[in-house]
Amino acid sequence: MTRERHYIPESRQREKPKSKYFAIGHSMKRVEDTRLLTGSGTYADDVSLPNMAHAAVLRSPHAHARIVSIDKSKAEALPGVLCVMTGAEAAEVTGPCADFSSPPTTQHCIAVDKVRHVGETVAAVVAESRYIAEDACELIEVEYDPLPAVVDLEEAVTSTGDAVLHPERGDTNVAHHRVIDFGTVDEDFAQADLVIERRLRWPRSGGTPIETVGATAHYDRGTGKFTIHANTSMYNYVGWLIAVSLKVEPHRLNIVPTDAGGSFGSKLFCHKVCTLAGTLARAAGRPVKYLEDRIDNMTSGDAHGSDRVYDAKLALKRDGTMLSMRLKVIDDYGAYFQYGVGQHGNAMAQVTGPYKINSVQVDLTAVFTNKCQQGAYRGFGSEVGNFVIERLVDAACEELDIDPIEMRRQNLIEQDQFPYIMPTGNMYDSGNYQAVLDEALGMIDYDGWRQKQAEAREEGRYIGIGISTCQERSVFSATEFWMWNPNETPGFTLSSSPESVSVNIDPTGKAFITLNAPFWGNSPETMAVQVLAEKLEMDPSDISVGYADSDKGFNSSGPGGSRFTVMIAGAVSGAADVIKEKMLRVASHMLEADPSDLEFRNGSIGVQGVPGKEKTLAEVALHAHYFRLDLPEDHDLTSGIDAAYVYDHPVTTMPSEDRTDLGIFYPIVGHMCHIPVVEVDVETGKVDFLDYVAVHDCGTMVNPMTLAGHVRGGTVNGIGSALYEHFHYDENGQLQNALLSDYLHPTPMETPVDIRVGHVETPSPFTEYGIKGGGEGGRMGAPPAIAAAVEDALKPLGVKVDSLPLTPKVLRGMIREAEANGG
Amino acid sequence: MKPARFRYLRAASVNDALQALAENPDAQILAGGQSLIAMMNLRLVKPACLIDINRISNIGYIDEDGDGVAIGALARHNDVKHSPLIRERCPLLTEAYESIAHHTVRNRGTLGGNLCHADPSSETPAVMVATGATLMLQSLRGQREVGAEDFFLGTYETARRQDEMLTEIRLPGRRTDGWAFAEISNRHGDFAIAVIATTLRIEDGRCEAARVVASGVGEHAARLEPAEEALIGGPIDDARLDAAAAAAAGAVDPHSDSHADAAYRRDAIAALTRRTVRRAAARCD
Ligand SMILES: Cc1cc2nc3c(=O)[nH]c(=O)nc-3n(C[C@H](O)[C@H](O)[C@H](O)COP(=O)(O)OP(=O)(O)OC[C@H]3O[C@@H](n4cnc5c(N)ncnc54)[C@H](O)[C@@H]3O)c2cc1C
Repeated sequence: MTRERHYIPESRQREKPKSKYFAIGHSMKRVEDTRLLTGSGTYADDVSLPNMAHAAVLRSPHAHARIVSIDKSKAEALPGVLCVMTGAEAAEVTGPCADFSSPPTTQHCIAVDKVRHVGETVAAVVAESRYIAEDACELIEVEYDPLPAVVDLEEAVTSTGDAVLHPERGDTNVAHHRVIDFGTVDEDFAQADLVIERRLRWPRSGGTPIETVGATAHYDRGTGKFTIHANTSMYNYVGWLIAVSLKVEPHRLNIVPTDAGGSFGSKLFCHKVCTLAGTLARAAGRPVKYLEDRIDNMTSGDAHGSDRVYDAKLALKRDGTMLSMRLKVIDDYGAYFQYGVGQHGNAMAQVTGPYKINSVQVDLTAVFTNKCQQGAYRGFGSEVGNFVIERLVDAACEELDIDPIEMRRQNLIEQDQFPYIMPTGNMYDSGNYQAVLDEALGMIDYDGWRQKQAEAREEGRYIGIGISTCQERSVFSATEFWMWNPNETPGFTLSSSPESVSVNIDPTGKAFITLNAPFWGNSPETMAVQVLAEKLEMDPSDISVGYADSDKGFNSSGPGGSRFTVMIAGAVSGAADVIKEKMLRVASHMLEADPSDLEFRNGSIGVQGVPGKEKTLAEVALHAHYFRLDLPEDHDLTSGIDAAYVYDHPVTTMPSEDRTDLGIFYPIVGHMCHIPVVEVDVETGKVDFLDYVAVHDCGTMVNPMTLAGHVRGGTVNGIGSALYEHFHYDENGQLQNALLSDYLHPTPMETPVDIRVGHVETPSPFTEYGIKGGGEGGRMGAPPAIAAAVEDALKPLGVKVDSLPLTPKVLRGMIREAEANGG
Repeated sequence: MKPARFRYLRAASVNDALQALAENPDAQILAGGQSLIAMMNLRLVKPACLIDINRISNIGYIDEDGDGVAIGALARHNDVKHSPLIRERCPLLTEAYESIAHHTVRNRGTLGGNLCHADPSSETPAVMVATGATLMLQSLRGQREVGAEDFFLGTYETARRQDEMLTEIRLPGRRTDGWAFAEISNRHGDFAIAVIATTLRIEDGRCEAARVVASGVGEHAARLEPAEEALIGGPIDDARLDAAAAAAAGAVDPHSDSHADAAYRRDAIAALTRRTVRRAAARCD
């Protein structure tokens, strides 16, 4: 099939943005709050089944080793131990874990033959209590034959022989390599007056939520069916792959979601823990709970974030016009490859940022090393791209002596250029980047701070102002996961990423919404309630929300990629249309009026223009539920008022065969401007925030308060990535900071007293009401802005920021060096 | 993350606890548990027996002791932090508490347990050494007093013998006029990367006595005598500050870990020395 390049499908938007809303746009308190803040949530560890046993795992002390032998006899002899399982035994009944890489990469829930990172599970124990299980782990004797540990991502490119982690994929640790030119890169570089080059290092950090991953599994011998309670997501999308691992048919696995005590992306799938718990429950003949402890989660949680080095180039004209980019990137994926290079598919959505850049070349190498594998973390790779391009832009400003604000104004895509097709083929649906920039500059009092900065410099103080203008692509479509795959092994080229809900109206006219994806820390219930209240003009407190397990659920990709609000708004809106139609039919009979003359108004259905001629939703619902014989003899007018609705991705197209055009895959694009003001203590390398402004454009806001909360939380996440967080592996592949006392999250003491949030609303022409996603934004904008602020503060010393995190040690080291060079 | 098996004994009196310590050579005292339980959960320590002293009455006091203060074994961090008596008689300790742990940890954790734990990055040992505190150790064999300078021997290592309980901490009255505490930690409330606790006496513009005590940069808190010598004998001017800072940095031989390397710790000690001496001198006026 041939397809016109840059074809934009027609918008399927049914609900246009409005000037006045009934429920949308109100800062109502979260529906989730009462339950969660009073300790009534049900988290993974709150699940308790009758006769339940507990599991613990023995972690590998080696980064890379052959398992020579395992003697579990002492562990099995310990009173209270029910079963001890090695990888070889598990592999007899359970297949490899879910994996989306192509060609595939084999990971087992208990390592078979070889361990590939510190913390990998070598054996698992089921016992009457977790205490006994951990005692028994200490009694398992394992003989290892150590193999070379591959820790450095550049060295991984050339490793061979015993250092190769997955020889079945070839004698190399290069998991993936491909170069793609998007647009006329060579020509654009040929026209450049100068090329900015920087080597940039983005460190490995991760979502690290307080609640680790856990699953409680039960295997019913009678029916041959598993029930697994877990804080996983995507169970109504690809959860059946866990059944495949467990070697049962998908309908013999029911995954029951629990609340997630934080995810930040890290609980996107959690297939390994579910697979392990299921395997152990079947072996033990008892329900089994396995909850990662902190060290399990940090060393083996399958959710480390991007770990990249870039050789990055930006080609410009002397007047500051940006032309093209060349990005050579190596990404350290760790020991496995569960999502392939999905994180780089993602990054292609906005790789050239908000700027009018004509072309880009991306040379991508993914490598295996002996570390925990990558998973999803707020930004899923795009946050790194934002850091890279913003660092290049700031470097260009320095080189050309152009003010960073002016440089941005000159190159930002203009308001009349939307929908905008960027070089990779993705579409930016709408935006007003200048308005976001203006709002942020106004809020921070940019000129005032520049003045204060100059005064402080006189006193020997180092204040810096940073700015980032970044994209926040939202609403992923599935093509990002496979678009980079080699043509010979395209993998499973899925193109669906729907979200669905069901809505039931009870006989009293109140509503119950069932989501088919879990709660994982955001406000899905509040979003669903506000959208349904808007549609039916009903009181939000008359709506409640629950979550379907995989037996009852259907077609839902779940939260991730800043998609949930947009997608459940689409699904709720679609379901509400079905509900509305039915209620109108019933009401039309009750009011003896034509349905087209009726309207929903403030808890009732009434005849337009005739005040008082109306029936409450309760009256209509009661009628629909119980008085069938009062209604016409229409065969399709059945009792009750229910709807189930699947909302497909609002606008997506397929990539071209040669991948020089990736199609539209991440089109609902928000924008942000972050401006932190920092002070650097040059003697100690400590960074303090004096002010912080973050302005976001997430289209129509469903709830400004919860959105601002997301922006603030994401910004704190970004402060962590910029200044604190880093999984620190030593040269032997030992993780040095596997505890939260050593892996440092910023606390309220380390964050600005007030992250001042501003909003601009540019509705999307493609989504219901024009909503855009806002789940990842803070973390996508803060790191480059903070890097810029620190560099600006240290300008008198000539310090350049090319890598993160800027810990006191790192920063003081750079300052010391600059001082020694007479800076 | 569960501890290995252990026996649990609850002491009703100090004597009870001493008896249990004498009878169980592999026992450890459980005070606030804020260090001990975490280490047990990580199985870094596996005591066969815990002797819980939390139910012993009347050992959480903070009392006048001549012109000094006597602090009982069960005085919680937060009691010490907020004590007006300590603020008056040992303000250096009050100031140090601005940097020690978090509210909930301080509600349970005790000063006594903190000192017995002897973490090399802990703040309180530096304060004890700087103020010249005395630790009272008791066993069935009797009671002895150990000066803070002799108490801290190494990483998690003190002069306390296995059968001894720390029953009281005695802070002397203020012998010097100026004091200041400063530390660098990655985050507020974390264990320190580097600590300096300083006390000074200045008479007629001349520094007569000084203690500059470092923590976080060696196996235990220790005086930096070269820095003290650099301060004594003249006014605290820029030259003396520079000399003291350089001497302090030269007097430590710090380690490197994932939080900071040795060079960083040395720079930090220099900066903290300068800052605390300046503040302490200002307080002498
Ligand atoms: C999140 C967190 C942050 C922290 N931050 C800091 C910090 O910034 N600075 C800092 O200094 N500390 C910090 N701590 C540690 C804290 O100060 C602990 O309270 C303290 O180290 C131990 O006191 P405890 O009463 O809890 O003792 P426990 O944990 O009960 O015992 C500690 C050790 O002392 C022994 N012991 C206790 N009491 C006695 C006694 N009377 N006689 C003999 N032996 C005894 C125990 O056997 C054990 O070996 C932090 C702790 C946490 C959890």
